[in-house]
Amino acid sequence: MSEPESTGSLVRYYCTAGNGMQRFLIAEVKKKLAAEDVCQLAGKVLFSSSVAINRVSELKAAERLFLLLRRDSPVRLSAHAGPAASVLQSKVLGDVAQWAGAAGTWSRLQGELSARRATGHGKEEEQGGGREEESSGGTGGGEARRLKRKRDEDEEEEKQTNPERKTDDAKEDYGPRPSRTEPEPPAPAPPTFRVSCKCTGSLTRYFSTQEVSRVIGGGLSRVLGWKADLKNPQLEVNVSLSDDHFLLGFPLTRLPLATRSYMKTTGLRSTVAWALASLAQIQPGSRVLDPMCGVGTVLIEAAQEHEAVCFLGVDNDDGQLQRANENVALAELPHRIQLLKASSMMLPLPSSSVDAVVCDLPFGRKFSTKTNMAANLPLILAEMERVLRVGGTLVLLLTPQLSCLLKKLLPQKDAGPTCNQEAEPATGKQRRPTPPASSTQQQTVPIPGGVKPPPTQETASGLQYGPPPPRCSMEHQETLRVSLGAIDGLIHKYVKTDS
Amino acid sequence: MKLLTHNMLTSHVKGVVKGYPLLIKATEVKVNEVDFNPQFVSRMIPKLEWSALVQAADELGQREDLPGELVPEYENNEEFLKKVHRVLLEVEVIEGVLQCPESGREFPISRGIPNMLLNDDEV
Repeated sequence: MSEPESTGSLVRYYCTAGNGMQRFLIAEVKKKLAAEDVCQLAGKVLFSSSVAINRVSELKAAERLFLLLRRDSPVRLSAHAGPAASVLQSKVLGDVAQWAGAAGTWSRLQGELSARRATGHGKEEEQGGGREEESSGGTGGGEARRLKRKRDEDEEEEKQTNPERKTDDAKEDYGPRPSRTEPEPPAPAPPTFRVSCKCTGSLTRYFSTQEVSRVIGGGLSRVLGWKADLKNPQLEVNVSLSDDHFLLGFPLTRLPLATRSYMKTTGLRSTVAWALASLAQIQPGSRVLDPMCGVGTVLIEAAQEHEAVCFLGVDNDDGQLQRANENVALAELPHRIQLLKASSMMLPLPSSSVDAVVCDLPFGRKFSTKTNMAANLPLILAEMERVLRVGGTLVLLLTPQLSCLLKKLLPQKDAGPTCNQEAEPATGKQRRPTPPASSTQQQTVPIPGGVKPPPTQETASGLQYGPPPPRCSMEHQETLRVSLGAIDGLIHKYVKTDS
Repeated sequence: MKLLTHNMLTSHVKGVVKGYPLLIKATEVKVNEVDFNPQFVSRMIPKLEWSALVQAADELGQREDLPGELVPEYENNEEFLKKVHRVLLEVEVIEGVLQCPESGREFPISRGIPNMLLNDDEV
């Protein structure tokens, strides 16, 4: 990773992130942006960085990126609508000078972002161009619907605010930061603006979201002379009011960061795909396999991050492979991602041949798979384990149901002989750790298709004597819950040991 | 299909003991220029079956002067790494078949993607 290029002045940002994604985003801003004062707030991560805005706008774990104007204690109202409106207005507007200063920073950052698009800096450049094209309306209804859905999800996240109350003394102002050296240039002509507001909690008893927007918008026009423009504003003012926090900011990109310009067809949410890959401990020179790659989302997110790595995508469906092929071509990654048609239950690869296996296990809702995932999971896992080298990492994303099943198949501590079962899948999922006698019996089960047996099975032939050594070589590392929009997914991480 | 991928592929047909390396019968081969990344190539070399790579390059008529044995201290031998880079990443089979050396089963390669799926009676 190259040194983050610094612009000298520290800027305070915040990003929205899906549920469960905050920890990935926190790690990412620290690693890539040398971020300071990183803190987490229901569905958001706040941080300061002096790294160039272009790098900031390439964050992978975030949904949307904002310039922070102010973070303050929650607005509490006690009277009725009349005075409450003016209390709200003065509280939100706060120090008027802040607004002008923040608008100045915002337009400087916008300038840097569009300069990047205009001058051409290789690949990222083209991505910027793609983003611009998309935002100019070419993609039409589909994109708009997608964004609408995203907003709904954001709102959803907003509602599920953390039960932990944030302390009221949390207060941050937009303003000269300690390490800021240059004063902001004075803002030119007053910008046109629109207020975008999200309210939850007690405030909603006094005002509807529309009313809040109107009160704030009116105040800005009156006090700052900014001109409201609902349709095509230069600046969007984002207001987030809840019982836990009060945040003001300006979005820095028109499309969410999570909308990848390099992806034509997305399967999984790009942010979650990136998170999966980030857990796989991918090193230069690694071979990384996705045995059910679908349209290639996980591999593409991983390949964006790792150059000297060989990625292999396997799927048994021609349509999916075709779309994966298009995605790989669009992302200009054909040299790093290779595709293959095969079954995840019978991988045409030697044992111990890959360094990491990453997979979003397809499931009913979104994918019409003919195979019954629950029934096939034992076989699929056995193959993943077989092709992984010792020390290699396995990262899986599953539905809550499949996650429960996986816990039974790959016990966390009690390593019973449930791991290498290649017997009838239907019984495999009910099998609990069994006594030595029956475990020897399992050894006689023929391995389908002459698959080279995993080394663990060869060594297990001496099992009759003494207590069974752990036959499952997959050591559980962690399980994380992330939001996939309508439902949650669980990420399981394992490392293959030589037991 | 690049030879980097071919180098990993094995045949899983029922009863086959050593389905490796797969023979290549290509009807369309392309050589695309790919940015040379010496770090990547030298890190991949220890993972390769060298003889299988040489054989595959031979079958495609793309071996040129790739040595039959891995040269010592290749990490700093840029000329050698470039040769490996070429056969691993630049040579690509677009159409053709892969054949299991033991059972003779053929796996088609179509639009650059090998189809390694087996029928139910083969597993």
